[in-house]
Amino acid sequence: MNAAQLAALSPIAALACGAVLAMMLAPLARAEIVRAAAAFSLALAAMLVVLRAGVPPASIGALYVDDGPARFGVAYASLSALAALAFLRTGAVGKEAPSLLVLVALGAATLAAAGHAATLFLGIEIISLSLIALFAFRLSRPGLEASYKFLVMSGLATAALLLGVSLIFAETGALAFAGWRGHGALFALGTALLLAGLAFKFSLAPFHMWTPDAFEGAPAGAAALAGVVSKGAVAIAILRLNGAAQLPEPLWSTGLAALGAASILVGNLLALRQPALPRMLGYSTIAHSGYIAVLLASGAPRAGEAVLFYLAIYAPALIGALCASALLGQAPTLPDLHGLVRRRPLEAAALALALLSLAGLPAAGGFIAKLYLLRTLVETSGWTLLGIVVAGSGLGFYYYARFFTAPFIGSSSGEAEPLALPDRALLLLCAALIVLFGVAPDILINIATSALSLR
Amino acid sequence: MALIALLLLPLVGGVIAFVVAGRGEAERWVSIATFALMLVMLFAIVAGAPDARWYARFEYPWVPSFGISIDLAIDGLSAALVGIAAVLGIICVTASWQEIRTDSGLFHACLCWTVGATVGVFISFDLLIFAFFWEAMLIPSFTLIAVWGHGDKEGAALKFLIFNAVAGFGLLAAAFALASMADHMTFNAFELAKMKLSTPVQVWMLLGFSLAFMVKLSVPPFHAWLPEAHTLAPTAGSILLAGLLLKTGAYGLFRFSPMLFPDGAMVVAPYGIALGAVGALYGGLVACGQNDAKRLVAYTSIAHMCIILMGICAGVQYALAGAAVEMIAHSFSASALFLLIGALYERTNTRDLRELGGLQQTAPRFAAAFSLFCAALLALPGTANFAGEALVVVGIFQVTWIFALAALSTLVISVIYATRLLKGLVFGVARPTDGTRDLGPREYGAVLVLAAGTLMVGLYPQSLIGLLEPAIKAALPHLP
Repeated sequence: MNAAQLAALSPIAALACGAVLAMMLAPLARAEIVRAAAAFSLALAAMLVVLRAGVPPASIGALYVDDGPARFGVAYASLSALAALAFLRTGAVGKEAPSLLVLVALGAATLAAAGHAATLFLGIEIISLSLIALFAFRLSRPGLEASYKFLVMSGLATAALLLGVSLIFAETGALAFAGWRGHGALFALGTALLLAGLAFKFSLAPFHMWTPDAFEGAPAGAAALAGVVSKGAVAIAILRLNGAAQLPEPLWSTGLAALGAASILVGNLLALRQPALPRMLGYSTIAHSGYIAVLLASGAPRAGEAVLFYLAIYAPALIGALCASALLGQAPTLPDLHGLVRRRPLEAAALALALLSLAGLPAAGGFIAKLYLLRTLVETSGWTLLGIVVAGSGLGFYYYARFFTAPFIGSSSGEAEPLALPDRALLLLCAALIVLFGVAPDILINIATSALSLR
Repeated sequence: MALIALLLLPLVGGVIAFVVAGRGEAERWVSIATFALMLVMLFAIVAGAPDARWYARFEYPWVPSFGISIDLAIDGLSAALVGIAAVLGIICVTASWQEIRTDSGLFHACLCWTVGATVGVFISFDLLIFAFFWEAMLIPSFTLIAVWGHGDKEGAALKFLIFNAVAGFGLLAAAFALASMADHMTFNAFELAKMKLSTPVQVWMLLGFSLAFMVKLSVPPFHAWLPEAHTLAPTAGSILLAGLLLKTGAYGLFRFSPMLFPDGAMVVAPYGIALGAVGALYGGLVACGQNDAKRLVAYTSIAHMCIILMGICAGVQYALAGAAVEMIAHSFSASALFLLIGALYERTNTRDLRELGGLQQTAPRFAAAFSLFCAALLALPGTANFAGEALVVVGIFQVTWIFALAALSTLVISVIYATRLLKGLVFGVARPTDGTRDLGPREYGAVLVLAAGTLMVGLYPQSLIGLLEPAIKAALPHLP
């Protein structure tokens, strides 16, 4: 193994070491030190990726791919996990939580860099097992319920994924994505099962059932991991599958598009009347998975760029909204938000901006992301999908607007304690990124195109 | 640069109004100052280059990889509508002085932002930025209805939002389709206008654009959101809806359909005239049967918007001039009526024509104002509405007599509903309760401003038509 290969693997190594270190420190050191160790490893991993910007991909073998999207995925997972760490509140028993969080980032990084069925499976399993533990961490009834649902459905999805991979292996004799080509009933069946397994982690309808419960019952930081970190990694894995493998068409892209369309409708319709902010965000994340799936399925020349852009826009919006929600206690409802702007102006502003971005409205990054989506569908003449996206976005306006206005009306009930420094910094950062990406999207577009050009 | 400032002013004003709220009436004065400053700036822009086709232009590439640039321009039509926006902003503040007592900081912020976004619609010539403001205006106006409305306000606001947001995305999609047909992707309307597209393509694109415009104009069968939204909104919300938001639809149709799709517009025009004729008759007849005064005025808005649609589709100079004048005239008359009915509702807690009456005995200033604007509603000569509607009818006669007859009969119907409104409110027996308080100085001042506008345009329409002339000429079909 030469130096270039070691450098390519260094971010993963940093994450793995960080997870082990945080786990070993948990019984020995104070909670702050454990968190600091986890935060350090996440930041280090992201920095190791950024330092290698422009370095040509090292060839390591089929298991681990070192292309642009993979690097984007590793940095994305590390930074989003770092943000989630800031508001991962797990109560007194939570000293092991930071270690689990780093493990999720590690799984996501592995998944994003997977070029082989083994790495794909490994990544998904690391994420799932860590999330099961994180969801249940507070040992509250909703948390346990979320965790249990996730456990059962995750088991099913794993079985489907494994069966799918073995069927594909039986037909093609290959486990590396590049060898997946051919046509046959087994291959088609295997692809369908593979798609179902991935759709579960991507919270696409009809495999979405665990998502709203997780958002409502689990700690908000864990929900951010499920909604941002793992979702981004799966999207990048599908992007690589699109490029490297030749999966049976039209099964693969039609299936993905159909799941995406179903998610857009289901997510937006079920979000309409949700009274609790995190549960609404859970349904909205299903809808956003649908938008990303539609992009991935489109086969447009610039779909990859659009996906990376969408992910980068989506992360600060969802993290900002979840952080604001976590600061209001478990599962705040509309009346809890009233008068927030007088109690904590920063939190209200960050939440409003995040919802604006999720709704895809101007001045926030979400608008440009929606433009990408519309443009892709117009380019590929996907008129039915366009209609569904338009209808879904219209519905989205309604429920985002309900939560958008709530902090600005009503009077505040009592004094609130001031925000802690990490929360304040995170909210400010999310708000700044949302506005920056919305006003000067070229920065992010350039990052996405340069990541994609590195193959 | 002046145009960017004109756009940012209401945005910033709204934020300031929100921040200073709660100290006396600070938020109200900040909003008034914002709108007054907008008027001053507008005058400065127009006076700076009075004879040019465009008083001011601004261009800045925003997202070059998408071909999006911030492309602002203002001519007479835009300037007139921006002026109306600022004036109606001030009227809204005065109209809600008593009505809005909770969360008035956010209320005034939403007021400023709605006005700001409509100003953006009126001066944007990059289709994407246009669509951007088109969507952006929905959120503050949705909030105005959903938070400060009456009755089932959330249902009404939801209907309003979903109708318009979905149609707005249709606009966005059509803009994308159009932009992707250019040699290099661009959303600049002036560039896109130079493109030679085949007629069927133009027709399809025009239909995509028109969907959004028709929903905003509330042309039947796309009108279902309007009666509820107008009736249940707070007074200022109704004024903004009728005076500004409906006009964005008329403006879009007036400006962009002949500019971008000259051949397609010729194909679609007869259907547009027919749709307008049916809609105008429908709106007028339904208005005749209403007992809720506010709902009645809402349905008359549908009828008047349909007359504007007919005027634009007729595509001859008289009709286009009439449509443009009617846009302004309707802003004055409908806003004034909503203001008066709102003030009446504040005092009597009812808008039912069968329960009200006798204002001429109890509240003479009310009665005088109502009489004037009912006259405007039925387009009596001397009011701005007469100038607009008469020009439209004359113009349509040049094209097709049968629809001109339809337009004439809507004028007859307007006599019925206007007199019904007049009889129900002004004449008849006063309510047995003690006399209704007359208009206060603030309300009276606002009504006088609108009355002055109606009469000035009505008695000397050339003052307005001269300003609108270049835009009207540009909207004429270019005959081969």
